[in-house]
Amino acid sequence: MTSTTPTHPADPADGLAAVVALRRLADRLEDAEVERVLADGWTWEQVAEALGVSRQAVHKKHARRLADQIPGRR
Amino acid sequence: MFERFSKDARTVVKQAEQEALALGSPTIEAEHLLLALADERVGGPAAALLRDEGLDPDGVHAALERETELSLAVAGVSLADFTLPETPPAPRRKPRVAASTRRALERALKTAAARGDRRIGSRHVLVGVLRAEVGTVPRALAAAGVDRIALATRAESLGG
Repeated sequence: MTSTTPTHPADPADGLAAVVALRRLADRLEDAEVERVLADGWTWEQVAEALGVSRQAVHKKHARRLADQIPGRR
Repeated sequence: MFERFSKDARTVVKQAEQEALALGSPTIEAEHLLLALADERVGGPAAALLRDEGLDPDGVHAALERETELSLAVAGVSLADFTLPETPPAPRRKPRVAASTRRALERALKTAAARGDRRIGSRHVLVGVLRAEVGTVPRALAAAGVDRIALATRAESLGG
């Protein structure tokens, strides 16, 4: 175990902090993008398939949050 | 866990929930406790101590944003590459207490016990937040050039 890849951070804490920051960024992006495509008329089924998750999962995660913004969608 | 918390310390935790909501976070993290403590209407003497380090609410926000930028940069990612909405998304549900907050509050309890203080006050919560050795808060404080250990020692000697 002597070799390290060039992208491997010197401080292991940096690598883990990057994971945390990326996860939070991904969550924020998901919220924003789901809201955008639903406003564009995508169905929950299409959003779910695009995200690679079940319709139930995407609905549970976003439906209540977006109930006010996207009228007529439950 | 909250039986021994003073009214002030409970107010800090309640305000931390508001900070989480304002930032669109699904969880109440230790950094939200820090933001609550930096609010002078909530943190009292803890807020004054933080302000002396440049950590008023704006200062804490700036330190947290810097930490995010630095950590994303480790992975070669920049927030500037993304178009994110200015206003945080509406919360999915009431924010849950995250492990980072639970750990900070446990350290607050231990700090009070070690000093023979019967009630947990804001200053104990501040010490609990500052004594985290890894995670977002210590990284944000380091990014802001704050000596976390020295600050924790001063917070421990606060009255009230």
